[in-house]
Amino acid sequence: MSFWDFVGSRRQQLLMDTYQHASAVFQCMVVAAVIGIGIGMLTYRNERAGRLAIATTVTIMTIPSYALLGLLIPALGLGVPPTVTALVLYALLPIVRNAIVGLRGVDPSLVDAARGIGMSRAAQIARVELPVAWPTILTGIRVATQMLMGIAAIAAFASGPGLGNEIFAGISSLGSANSLNQVLAGTLGIVVLALLFDAALVLIGRLTTSRGIRA
Amino acid sequence: MTAGPGTEEAQPVTSALQSAPMPRKVTAKKLIVTPIVIVLALIGTYVWISNVSLDPIEKNSLSGALVRQALWQHIRLTAYSTFFVLVIAIPLGIALTRGGVRKASPVATAIANLGQSIPSIGLLALLTFWLGIGPRTALVGMVAYAVLPVLSNTMSGLRGIDPQLVDAARGIGMSGFGVLTKVELPLAVPLILAGVRNALVLNVGTGTLAGFVSGGGLGTLITNGIVTQRTRVLIVGSVLAVALALFVDWLASLAELQLTPRGLEES
Repeated sequence: MSFWDFVGSRRQQLLMDTYQHASAVFQCMVVAAVIGIGIGMLTYRNERAGRLAIATTVTIMTIPSYALLGLLIPALGLGVPPTVTALVLYALLPIVRNAIVGLRGVDPSLVDAARGIGMSRAAQIARVELPVAWPTILTGIRVATQMLMGIAAIAAFASGPGLGNEIFAGISSLGSANSLNQVLAGTLGIVVLALLFDAALVLIGRLTTSRGIRA
Repeated sequence: MTAGPGTEEAQPVTSALQSAPMPRKVTAKKLIVTPIVIVLALIGTYVWISNVSLDPIEKNSLSGALVRQALWQHIRLTAYSTFFVLVIAIPLGIALTRGGVRKASPVATAIANLGQSIPSIGLLALLTFWLGIGPRTALVGMVAYAVLPVLSNTMSGLRGIDPQLVDAARGIGMSGFGVLTKVELPLAVPLILAGVRNALVLNVGTGTLAGFVSGGGLGTLITNGIVTQRTRVLIVGSVLAVALALFVDWLASLAELQLTPRGLEES
């Protein structure tokens, strides 16, 4: 069976896996972005706290994803809980790091000016600092999304959702007629999803970057 | 990538390929804390496993010989793949920043970026259809996966050099080769080393997937644990893999400290 015949005959299953993969990555991404930007906002003004936040997230990144899943399974069981936890944890480093660097990179005279015209601290963050740091933060989100695509594939072995299931089904039936097609469909599906997500994030960047700092 | 509450010079992550942080001062605290944490975790796991009664399946999976074999396979996979990564990526990175070949570097970067979006498990699985199963396939996949960060770090390290320095070196009569070995490469060392460290950590990580293509390694313990639903096997495999990753990263941070040219420290 050729690859395209295979894709045609398994369309339903593949679409389901693709949708679940995309949805898992997207939701974890949103959660990680909220947590990561939150950690960034809480720590960027303090040298030590910022360092600690980055060092912690760097350590998480150093841990092999399959091993982290292995450690999460005894606590959380199989399936969605360990998958989501692992994805969110791995997404934190690029987001936290870029949030801290982005927020620290905001020209202090801008913040001064904002305070000068009577903005409250919250307004300074919401209307000056975050918008200026946003392109850097978004870059972190792009890097994290790229990474999550691959980690989500591994999580399928812990009964996680998504296209990784096609890859593992192919591996466990090596030699059978459709094993190559399955692996190929899973892998290419993830590559396509990764490219689509990246393009979407670039577009979001264009639309949400404050006009004053657009290149 | 570093472990423990060390000093971390923050810089933004701009691409998946350049996520390696700039080298930084490694404090005495970090040099000591990381190995202590690793050793404590290993001792804790060992004591725990020795004091619980294991069922036959667990005894089988956790026999000393098997665990040692998996660990040793993992270390070998990591060492070999990192060696090949360095041999391929550094010369290639140098070549792509030289003369006429330089025009090809945007293409190389684009390919590298696209390659990075291939999931590691998919890459390993696809390779089995070409190379069959076994450690060799795992090795090829690991090398292919880790070449990208080292390559791009080498290239951006060489490109980021102040052109005036290269001009000055030329001006005092150095040959192109002299400029490369005496000026450009030493200046690029911090970024290249960051790439190497990144590659090592990536390789330990991809190595945990080698088991899926019968390549051995600590991933086999984790997989065994999941498949046979034996939590203890799962935990031993995972703890060993985590400890190895943190240890390798720690070793690499020592190497960074040793190999960074004196003139570049504290910059």
